[in-house]
Amino acid sequence: MPDAPADLPEAASRRFESRAFTSGLTVPDFAACLQSGLRPVGFVQGFCVMQWSWYGMGSPYNRGLSPYGGGGGGYSETYQCPHGYVSAEHRSWGQNYEQSWVEQAWSQGFGLAYGRMLEEATAVGAHGVIGVIDTSDRLSDLGVVEFHVRGTAVTVDGVPAPRGGQPWTTYLAGQRLTKLVEAGYAPVSVAAAVASVRVWAYCITEYLLGGGGSAWGGQQSSAEVTQVAAARTAARQLAREHVRAQLGGDSLHGAEMVVSEREVGEGDQEIQCLLRGNRVRRFKEFDPVAVPHPTVRLS
Amino acid sequence: MTDAPQDPSAAPEELPKDLPEATSRRLAELEHGLFTSDLSVNEFLLIKEVGFHPLGLVMGSSIYHTGIQTRKWGQSQELTKLTEAMYNARELAMTRMEEEADQLGADGVVGVRLDVNYYEWGKDAAEFIAVGTAVKAESGVSHRNALGKPFTSDLSGQDFWTLMQTGYIPQGLVMGTCVYHIAHRGLGQTLGSAGQNVELPNFTQALYEAREMAMTRMQDEADRLEASGIVGVRLEEKSHQWGSHTIEFLSLGTAVTKTSDEVTLPVPTTIISLDN
Repeated sequence: MPDAPADLPEAASRRFESRAFTSGLTVPDFAACLQSGLRPVGFVQGFCVMQWSWYGMGSPYNRGLSPYGGGGGGYSETYQCPHGYVSAEHRSWGQNYEQSWVEQAWSQGFGLAYGRMLEEATAVGAHGVIGVIDTSDRLSDLGVVEFHVRGTAVTVDGVPAPRGGQPWTTYLAGQRLTKLVEAGYAPVSVAAAVASVRVWAYCITEYLLGGGGSAWGGQQSSAEVTQVAAARTAARQLAREHVRAQLGGDSLHGAEMVVSEREVGEGDQEIQCLLRGNRVRRFKEFDPVAVPHPTVRLS
Repeated sequence: MTDAPQDPSAAPEELPKDLPEATSRRLAELEHGLFTSDLSVNEFLLIKEVGFHPLGLVMGSSIYHTGIQTRKWGQSQELTKLTEAMYNARELAMTRMEEEADQLGADGVVGVRLDVNYYEWGKDAAEFIAVGTAVKAESGVSHRNALGKPFTSDLSGQDFWTLMQTGYIPQGLVMGTCVYHIAHRGLGQTLGSAGQNVELPNFTQALYEAREMAMTRMQDEADRLEASGIVGVRLEEKSHQWGSHTIEFLSLGTAVTKTSDEVTLPVPTTIISLDN
């Protein structure tokens, strides 16, 4: 067994010296894994605790500070009020922009935790890591976010330990992984990215979200909130672009997209879109699964 | 019942002293062939299919005063007294459940649930309960673990069946715990990095260490059982009643031993449901 990297906690290296394997797989996944010639060697994990505040560069809470600051990212769109001067409180401008500093912080936190998991996997001589789970949680009231990436390190029966190369990783485990490999795709790595878009509402968005659209914009009460719709579309699009940049010609399988929003103030919000999936590579002719047997439940 | 445990009439006197009297009556009834179980019908049938018979619902309980321990405001550290308390209390509950199972002549306990309850009447006290269904091999071959005790596992009937097809048999529910206090951040530290989303390496290291300690302790238990591995490892985090800066990291899994190299699990058939 190669020496564990120096920055793993002492307890981790002691854990890997034990002769018993650990597996975070459920029993059905464990059985499928043995059946397809994978042998679990250890539950591996990585962490990264990041200071997490929303007061980053270009994102003041206070609207008055930097109206057209932008996030230094690619996407930015401004909205002009059609009303002319109304009052000092009237939101005569609005803006959507990509908060690239949030995206970078996320990918740094995820990347560090993921890298540490890979170090653990390398330390146990794994070929790959299956059943990866990643979470990012706010830790108590500290204003910090903890990234935790874990999975089960496996070796492939009858194949020598990998030299130098990094272990492959996948969110899949069990029969779904088996079917994918049988069909001719090999897992390469997990791929995940976040897109973050900030919405600073202008008067029309503010009033539409407040339910009083007809007062200022003259629209029907069921009009589309174009600024928010545009922000959400952009967030999805950006997340796809970020992940595509990681694929390097491989394809993405079993992708999952999670969109969440956070109210920042009246009409103001922050939209986060997390896209994760499995980067896979074709290694043989496509070999589809056996024709499934149709079943009907008589109940 | 041909496979009744040895000399049922002698059993109640041998009952370990720390089990309540009501237990011995219930267990005596169970020994005469009646069985109780919280298995579903499917679980029951699957357990029968791999040659085991349920003997009865067994449980163990321990009410434990977990106490308090002083913490340093600005320092991340393990709270060893609390760790010990949480560990011992669970261990007591598990041992009492094992004693009940032992009394029944069981080979093991499946579907173990390990819960912690807090009651209004007991400040700083918690009840730890372990409940499961004791089972015995119909072949009469002993399946007890390396320590001569009934195996325990939190596997469902379905999982138990599947595991047996892979050539592994459960040895015991193994756990490790670590109660950790996470430092508060000083004002200076907070201001020093204000406006940046950066890694806080001290926190990363502290939490990493805490979880690894819990996992290592779990692994030590598995080593004592001479297990070849642990399946279904879970990491749970709870603050119980200690406030948000004190967290218990609990690692749980089922230690297993390999009994055969042969995986007898049939290749699953692919089906497509035509139900709505």
